[in-house]
Amino acid sequence: MSASIASPHFLLRRLHSLFGILPVGAFLAFHLWENSQSRFGAEHFNREVVGALAGLNYLPFIEIGLIALPLLLHALYGLVIIGGGRAEPLRYSYLRNRLYWLQRISGIGLLVFILLHVGMTRMAGLVDPAIHADLFGHMRAALANPWVFGFYLVGLWLAVVHFANGLATAAISWGLTTSAMAQRRFGWLCAAGGLLLGAIGTHGLVGYLTAPVGGGA
Amino acid sequence: MTGIAGSGLHLTRDGADAAGRERDRDADAAPRTGGDVEQARACEHRHVELRIRRQDAPDSAPYWQRFRVHPRPGDNVVSVLRALRLDPVTVDGERVDPIAFEHNCMEEVCGACAMLIDGMPRPACSTLLEDLGDVIRLEPLPKFPVVRDLMVDRARIFHNLTRVQAWVRLDGPWDTHERAPRISQRQWVADYLYSRCMSCGICLAACPQFPASSRTNADDNRAFVGPSALAQVRLLNAHPLGRFNKTDRLHAIMAEGGLTDCGNAQNCVRVCPKEIPLTTAIGELGRQTTLQALKDLFG
Amino acid sequence: MSGRRVIVVGGGLGGLWATLTIAGGGHRVQLFSLFEVMRSHSVCAQGGINAVLDAKGQHDTVAQHIRDTLRGGSWLANQPPVKSMCEAAPGLIRTFERMGVTFSRTPEGLLDQRLFGGVKNKRTCFAGASTGQQLMHGVDQQVRRLEAEGWVEKHEWWEFLALVKDTDGVCRGIVAMDLRSLEVRAFRADAVVLATGGLGQLYAPQTTCSTNATGAAASRVYQQGARFANAELFQFHPTAMLGEDKTRLMSEAARGEGGRVWVPKDPADRREPNRIPETERWYFLEDWYPAYGNTVPRDIASRAIWRVCRELGQGIGGGDRVYLDLTHLDRDFVEARLGAILSIYRKFAGSDPLDAPMEIFPAAHYAMGGLWVDFEHDSATGGVTPGSPRNHATSIPGLYACGECDYAYHGANRLGANSLLSASYSGRVAGEAVLSHLAGIERGAEAMPGAPFEAEVARQVSSNRELMAGQGHESAYRLHEELGALMTSRVGVVRDNATLDQALDELAELERRAAHMDLAEASPWANQTLAHARQVQDMIRLARVMAASARARDECRGAHYKPEFDLPLPSTRDPADPQWERYRERWQANNERWLKTTVAEHTVDGPRIEFEPVDLSVMTPDQPRDYR
Ligand SMILES: Cc1cc2nc3c(=O)[nH]c(=O)nc-3n(C[C@H](O)[C@H](O)[C@H](O)COP(=O)(O)OP(=O)(O)OC[C@H]3O[C@@H](n4cnc5c(N)ncnc54)[C@H](O)[C@@H]3O)c2cc1C
Ligand code: HEM
Ligand code: HEM
Ligand code: SF4
Ligand code: F3S
Ligand code: FES
Repeated sequence: MSASIASPHFLLRRLHSLFGILPVGAFLAFHLWENSQSRFGAEHFNREVVGALAGLNYLPFIEIGLIALPLLLHALYGLVIIGGGRAEPLRYSYLRNRLYWLQRISGIGLLVFILLHVGMTRMAGLVDPAIHADLFGHMRAALANPWVFGFYLVGLWLAVVHFANGLATAAISWGLTTSAMAQRRFGWLCAAGGLLLGAIGTHGLVGYLTAPVGGGA
Repeated sequence: MTGIAGSGLHLTRDGADAAGRERDRDADAAPRTGGDVEQARACEHRHVELRIRRQDAPDSAPYWQRFRVHPRPGDNVVSVLRALRLDPVTVDGERVDPIAFEHNCMEEVCGACAMLIDGMPRPACSTLLEDLGDVIRLEPLPKFPVVRDLMVDRARIFHNLTRVQAWVRLDGPWDTHERAPRISQRQWVADYLYSRCMSCGICLAACPQFPASSRTNADDNRAFVGPSALAQVRLLNAHPLGRFNKTDRLHAIMAEGGLTDCGNAQNCVRVCPKEIPLTTAIGELGRQTTLQALKDLFG
Repeated sequence: MSGRRVIVVGGGLGGLWATLTIAGGGHRVQLFSLFEVMRSHSVCAQGGINAVLDAKGQHDTVAQHIRDTLRGGSWLANQPPVKSMCEAAPGLIRTFERMGVTFSRTPEGLLDQRLFGGVKNKRTCFAGASTGQQLMHGVDQQVRRLEAEGWVEKHEWWEFLALVKDTDGVCRGIVAMDLRSLEVRAFRADAVVLATGGLGQLYAPQTTCSTNATGAAASRVYQQGARFANAELFQFHPTAMLGEDKTRLMSEAARGEGGRVWVPKDPADRREPNRIPETERWYFLEDWYPAYGNTVPRDIASRAIWRVCRELGQGIGGGDRVYLDLTHLDRDFVEARLGAILSIYRKFAGSDPLDAPMEIFPAAHYAMGGLWVDFEHDSATGGVTPGSPRNHATSIPGLYACGECDYAYHGANRLGANSLLSASYSGRVAGEAVLSHLAGIERGAEAMPGAPFEAEVARQVSSNRELMAGQGHESAYRLHEELGALMTSRVGVVRDNATLDQALDELAELERRAAHMDLAEASPWANQTLAHARQVQDMIRLARVMAASARARDECRGAHYKPEFDLPLPSTRDPADPQWERYRERWQANNERWLKTTVAEHTVDGPRIEFEPVDLSVMTPDQPRDYR
């Protein structure tokens, strides 16, 4: 048996990287796009977005197997990785090094954010079916609090930065980009994608507050 | 301008000159001959304060000492440290032991003199004083155990080359009467860059993933090998014979402490004095290991 | 792990090749070096390594390489070793190539070659302008593999102090000092190989050599009875950067690739060099030596620059400097071929050689002389007998020497790019000789009585203790400076007997003063002053050998130049001219007297100089050197 399989280290690392993109990164993109539909109002959101999802077959399996578990694994192993490095963003003020540091800070921030966020939404919905029934209203009420709104804004952008930078570094780690030029170009591409994703997310956040409540809720 | 900094060359023609030279040294930045007079004058009154982090032995506590020096034109950090050995007196007038530091080539090719200069890891010999301020902080190269003062023990760099099997497996060092294989100039240009590594450890000092000696042992086989060793894997994997053992080297860097411990901070490539494209090597090895893993899994 | 134990002192190209050969032959090697071997001076070599590949359509031949080397060295080298070295060179290059050395390539992907001094054919393989470093990478990696397999044990940060000889005078081991703990310890061995490099630091700071090229180790074995040969033959490299702390080399490759040396016709001309029109420049090398131009051998180029600056007062601004100009060449070409030296110049001089000519002057560079070593003449081939235990054996049984610290290949002047070759080749030959020597040993060093080892350790410990006690008042660092100034001014490019006598007196005085040092440091840990003080003492003793040998040789030969005894070339260049014939006769008569190896032996009163014949069995020295 070959050494790379004999030692699980390499595969674990690559799995971590992979999970960050697929499914977790993909989920993020999808999730933010979904939430951006908040501006169509409660009825649309609750029926078309939340409802359509709730109608999926094997939903718990998807939720746990494709979202929760990979995210958890990525996050936990991410903590292990963070423990193995010592960032010095001040001494070495190069952009990539700052991003290296940001990747770790954002990872820890995200862990906090996601735990609270999922608790406030999905978990709360499990406990109280009323919340689940009108997620739009629930979110609108929560986000009306400027602290919660700020919390979401930060969490959102941490996630976007983490994902975008993660994509750029994953391209190096997997050997997609090799020359310095290619790495720089792809980095900017990821930054652009991140901006777009962040805009969509922000738009969705704002949508909860500005969209018409009306409809059949 | 041709600007030969520090061109105060004055071959002594006779004994009188030799004595004069001695006096020059004593008087420190006394004017030099010929065209250097002006330059020397400009520097004559420049005082530079060296703040040096000293440490008497590996397990003793570090402390700081300050020295005042009068650099000659063209001086670099190694040359002022050498000059300071003649008369190691601190700003407080205390005579102390000469500062221990390493240097050999004084032209940035042996890698011996790497240290922290104003907080940044650099080769001391090619760091000219005219590019630094009037207060200069010198500290030993971080990440490596201090031997004494500015001397560190970099055995780990070489141990890591062993870990990644940075060699070509020869039948023996005799002539096999085979003509050297053809290598395109394009490939030569790419490879040559990596072969300029001087094992100075500057990239390792700056790499956030390379563990400090306080967190690992010199012969730790699970700590990150660091970018310099990875670059050698890249180099040897491209060699017509080195290729035969590519799989071994890839497996070595797919183990703990290998390639995947790089977090893409890319300080390494920014600080490397030889401008070795370390992150390109890391990218290329990323590709090689990805394919190798596929081969291992499904091949 | 079976086999015998061998000690190799020195981890430059010579030492690593010896290690590789001996460990590869199934014996355990302990490798000693002052620091990690990859920091050895060999990494500084820039320009290249010679080997006849005849890949440039110039009909180059090994015979021509032999002739160029012998003639370039003013016929002073023993010829069989030179012959064997030149014959082995192409194979050595191929071996380096297999090790992974990144030799520069032609557009067809073959090994590229460039022109170097003293030859007319492109014969120098190179890896950019960092050839030494690349060759070192290659052998270092091979040695590292043997180390990983347990054949080699490195003692880096250990300094060789002395040999240990048994009652028959056979070398049985060494005493070395740990440069950190200052522990002095004896190591037993069935053979010792010394590969401790050059001695340019005797001329510090006007030298291109690393600060560890002190020659102290060679001096130590000399003082223990090893003969030292051709000490007066020391090369000054014509093109070194000006500098106060070091004169950094600008490789001969710069001229090989087309660089031109010139001065303004008017020394008072203060214009920027690029503004000086062609007609107002004096390309004195091309003028004086039209046949070889800028690529005359080093001794000739150095003396020419010396003459221009010192005798004719034509140096730039009337000072000690001339231009080395690359600005007329294609920038990309120069960058690709010479990038490493360009970056040295840019970093240390602050100007770009692609934009403005470099300013250079000769500086101390390379010791042709060194420890006397033997060879066995193979009458079948005319070269040396492969694997003979006599090859590279010093005059102390069991002690071998290779690399720059031996004297074997370069006669009175080394041709550029021949010394990476000789260091590597001699390391291998010395290694093979040791293998044969070991085969003939009956009783290993392990079985030797311990007394001589203990005695030598005690002697070294006590001299450390004496130095540490600091009874005197002399500073080791200052003495080194004085030594450098003295050697540069008195035993330099141009010599005369009165000055040499003076130098000998002054050296004796220096030696006396060096016995009264004050280290000003008593640290028992990593005490660099202690190590340096010991080196300075031994350097001064070696300097005496150089000065005494220089004093003894009353002629001009290669790098050794005493104008008083010069035989100026006739003005004609036509060999048929009777003037030439007369000159040749005088030249031959001089050879009768002086074509001899200088051999120094240590006595309590200082070096005793003798001369011994040179082996001229390969080709008769029929042609005086004429590079015009
Ligand atoms: C700037 C420069 C450029 C050059 N360029 C070229 C070139 O282009 N082509 C060419 O052919 N030649 C060139 N040369 C010459 C060539 O580099 C040297 O002659 C050659 O490298 C010497 O190799 P070595 O193995 O003998 O010694 P070194 O490489 O000097 O190694 C000496 C070794 O001995 C060890 N040592 C010394 N003393 C002790 C001691 N007391 N105890 C323990 N260890 C000790 C050191 O640690 C070191 O490992 C150049 C020389 C200089 C100065
Ligand atoms: C724009 C800001 C965001 C809004 C408005 C938002 C909104 C919501 C809502 C309404 C739910 C509940 C879905 C349900 O119960 O079916 C939810 C679930 C979830 N959100 Fe967000 N979210 C935001 C940002 C994020 C971010 C940045 C992440 C991080 C990756 C994230 C991760 C999750 C996860 C993991 C769940 C649980 C999903 C599930 O199990 O179905 N969210 N979010
Ligand atoms: C919840 C807590 C999280 C933590 C603690 C965390 C931690 C980390 C860390 C430390 C890295 C760097 C790995 C390395 O450089 O070796 C990383 C990479 C990455 N993360 Fe996360 N992360 C978290 C959440 C997320 C989320 C929610 C996403 C998706 C949006 C994500 C996507 C990525 C991606 C794509 C990478 C790049 C992997 C690579 O470089 O190969 N992470 N993460
Ligand atoms: S890669 Fe650069 S910084 Fe790192 S050891 Fe090599 S030369 Fe030094
Ligand atoms: S700094 Fe270190 S983290 Fe990677 S890119 Fe360079 S090795
Ligand atoms: S002294 Fe060699 S790199 Fe600075």
